[in-house]
Amino acid sequence: MTLPIPFPTIPTQASQFAIESDHLFWYITLLCVGGTGLVYVMVAYFCFRYAKNPGARGHVGLQRTPRILGSVKLEFLWSAIPTVLFLSCFAWGIWLWGQNTRIPPEAAQNEIYVVGKRWMWKIQHPDGTREINELHLAVDQPVKITVISEDVIHDFGIPAFRQKIDVVPGRYLSTWYKPTQIGSYHIFCDQYCGQGHSQMVGTVHVLSKSDYEQWREGTYRTKDGKNPVDGSAGWLGAKLFKKLNCISCHGADNTQRAPRLEGIFGTQIPIGGGKTVTVNDDYIRESIRNPMAKVHEGWKPIMPAFPVSQLTEEELLQVMAFVKGLRAGETPSRVEHTPPQIGANPLNSEGGSK
Amino acid sequence: MNLDYAPQCVPAPEPDPTKPRVHYLNHAYGWLSWLFTVDHKRIGILYLVTVTIFFAAGATAAALVRLNLLTPTSELLPLDAYNKAFTAHGTVMLFLFLIPVVPGVLGNFFVPMMIGAKDMAFPKINLLSWYIFMLGAAFFLWTLLSGGIDTGWTLYPPYSSQYSHTNVLYAGLGIFVAGFSSILTGLNIIVTVHKMRAPGMTWNRLPLFIWAMYATSLIQMLATPVLAVTVLLLAVERVFGIGIFDPTLEGDPILFQHMFWFYSHPAVYVMIIPGMGVVSEIITCFSRKNIFGYAAIAWSSVGIAVVGFLVWGHHMFLSGQGYYMGMLFSFITMLVAVPSAIKVFNWTATLYKGSITFEAPMLFSLGFIALFTIGGVTGLYLGVMGTDIHLHDTYFVVAHFHFTMVGGMMLGWQAGLHFWWPKMTGKMYSDFWSRLSALTICFGFFVTFIPQFIAGYNGMPRRSPSYAPEYQILNVISTAGAFIQGIGYLMPVFYLTGSLIYGRPAGNNPWRATGLEWQTTSPPPQFNFDETPIVTCGPYEYSLTSDDVYKHIPVPSTNGVHTGKEGVHA
Repeated sequence: MTLPIPFPTIPTQASQFAIESDHLFWYITLLCVGGTGLVYVMVAYFCFRYAKNPGARGHVGLQRTPRILGSVKLEFLWSAIPTVLFLSCFAWGIWLWGQNTRIPPEAAQNEIYVVGKRWMWKIQHPDGTREINELHLAVDQPVKITVISEDVIHDFGIPAFRQKIDVVPGRYLSTWYKPTQIGSYHIFCDQYCGQGHSQMVGTVHVLSKSDYEQWREGTYRTKDGKNPVDGSAGWLGAKLFKKLNCISCHGADNTQRAPRLEGIFGTQIPIGGGKTVTVNDDYIRESIRNPMAKVHEGWKPIMPAFPVSQLTEEELLQVMAFVKGLRAGETPSRVEHTPPQIGANPLNSEGGSK
Repeated sequence: MNLDYAPQCVPAPEPDPTKPRVHYLNHAYGWLSWLFTVDHKRIGILYLVTVTIFFAAGATAAALVRLNLLTPTSELLPLDAYNKAFTAHGTVMLFLFLIPVVPGVLGNFFVPMMIGAKDMAFPKINLLSWYIFMLGAAFFLWTLLSGGIDTGWTLYPPYSSQYSHTNVLYAGLGIFVAGFSSILTGLNIIVTVHKMRAPGMTWNRLPLFIWAMYATSLIQMLATPVLAVTVLLLAVERVFGIGIFDPTLEGDPILFQHMFWFYSHPAVYVMIIPGMGVVSEIITCFSRKNIFGYAAIAWSSVGIAVVGFLVWGHHMFLSGQGYYMGMLFSFITMLVAVPSAIKVFNWTATLYKGSITFEAPMLFSLGFIALFTIGGVTGLYLGVMGTDIHLHDTYFVVAHFHFTMVGGMMLGWQAGLHFWWPKMTGKMYSDFWSRLSALTICFGFFVTFIPQFIAGYNGMPRRSPSYAPEYQILNVISTAGAFIQGIGYLMPVFYLTGSLIYGRPAGNNPWRATGLEWQTTSPPPQFNFDETPIVTCGPYEYSLTSDDVYKHIPVPSTNGVHTGKEGVHA
């Protein structure tokens, strides 16, 4: 919610539980404001109404006040009413707790493991995908989260979901999420865990179904991200792209020797003699293994071949994923300027993360 | 003699100001007369001086924490230094200030006086408990000077037992030793209240401050040994590597939390019930009314003390203790909230049809009610299992417990200090500055901690030197408030100290209060009362005149003995 106030007021409700949690939160707030307001008004009124010569020091002369010792009726009343109200919060609270801890079967099929370690979150998806300090979820898809710590006690908290869970060494604890709003939200460590406690932050990305599928393929990128998501196939491919020096000719700083690859996937390119070829998986693989086969018109056939001994099939797929995901203006350059990571990154929690 | 209130015993005459008078401050001089004193009043002053120094130390750490939080990237302190600063703030404020402050200073000084005794039941043990406290404090001091400790005051293992490279052992020793001081003070107060009451001082005539101190002492005696055991086990694991809490050594980290909170939850009542006792004394005196619901307030103190032992698990809902266990703790937590609500309503009702004046003690007490009410109701969010999931370990918790413990105990302590200062020193402080101090502290308090509720609801985790930038403005407001508060706390240092030299004589009973402590001279004589007081009525008979109570009784000019059955009974 955006109010014309320069600080955050109500955090985004990005999960089913967040909505349910906030109902109880505002119910308790109503009781608190009512109760506190009653006390404040009574105290203020009595202080005003029964002030003796306000501002004066001491009591001069004889002034009798009525000798009121108490009232059993009132004592009963103001014991019973708060008790009933408190117990209503209690009952609602245990129901809400049940919502958080009773894991539905459709979430249990999709179990994500979170390992807390000073000072990072290591996350493992059911298909084996691993992430560090990032968690990608599909919107409306319930997931079970099982956490454990490798060292001290941490706490895996996502304010936008209104959910958190202690991450204790030596035992598994579980909760579940059903994200309902697309966007990127904070992950915090909420249990003090030593020096880097405040640095143990991450981001949960709630993606649309199609974005989530792209992310699983390794071609998805965050909205403003210059690079593919850490740990994904595209991210590994980007590393290979630099390691194997593809970047010397296909990089952003060189346009003389080789074409840029951004946005090339899926297009038709001329290969001389009036022929064209569609840039698909097979063509990219061929151009890496045997570059001379079909050369882009206008470029010299100077690219070296990369046999399996230099680039395994697996690695080739990673490079492929990188090339597929390259968008206009995102070709990496050989010189990088990466700002140091301090604390949490500013996030756009307004939804729409692509 | 006809007074428009009915003191609990016949007041002593005002001493002749032209003649020198011997009292507890001037009957002996020199360092040794203080260091070897067994006079409960002098021991109270020893506590006053020492806890004030510790408060200054804890406040300095708080200032560092707040300054560091001005920017989201922790530019003032390195991460380690920040962690040490907030731990120093927490441990010093809790173990060396909040727990001993009211029992140590006001309890020591006024429990014997308010029940009409010459001293504590065990004067030497009383002095011993101060020395033990100082020994514990010395370990803390050594901890801080030799590099600090970075575990947070909660000392959760396995971080504290296996991972922290700081002086956990010294701090643990400090907690262990200081705990015995707390136990001995509690023991002393319980025995004193049972055995040393003046003739006529029945249980139903005890001032509510005494009931509060009695309840507090029960907690101190029964809970503190558990803390000692816990810290000892932690030390055994840290030093000898014997697995108790660390799961890699087949221990259970949750066991520590159970043991720690079994002490520390009752301990938060040690930090609030005495404040409630002080406020009960002051609200009645400054509104010239009987307390509304004496029995309700007295027994709610005892109720909190007893039921408070059964709610420790509400600190651990998310630790994996289990659904049904959490449910039980949450349920009992709802019940323990009721006595606090009863007290607030009773204080409010006491104001009804009073004749209210607003000197500094009253302003501090009204501030107490205002802040403690917010502190109490915000506990509801955290005691309810469902909402605690989101708010657990965020700044919401920080704001909540500061509202209860600082808004409660700190204001209760200031109220008590300002109320009884004229009795302790015989001098009156500046009316203007003391009122300004009360208003400044309350105002600064709201500015400091209301933004923290908002930051907490938005998810800002506690104990973080750096934070997400959207929280910055809330933190800047909070820091500004902390410095306003700081100014408020500094003022009494000057005007109270100044009053010792420049203050006008307070007289025996400047507030025209009914308690026994006000019926003797100021400062009190060495043995509190020149004659054993005979208690003839309840503690808050502001609506009766002294004639109502005493006109049928010959004023005991020498040593008249009464059974206490004459006159009006409370």
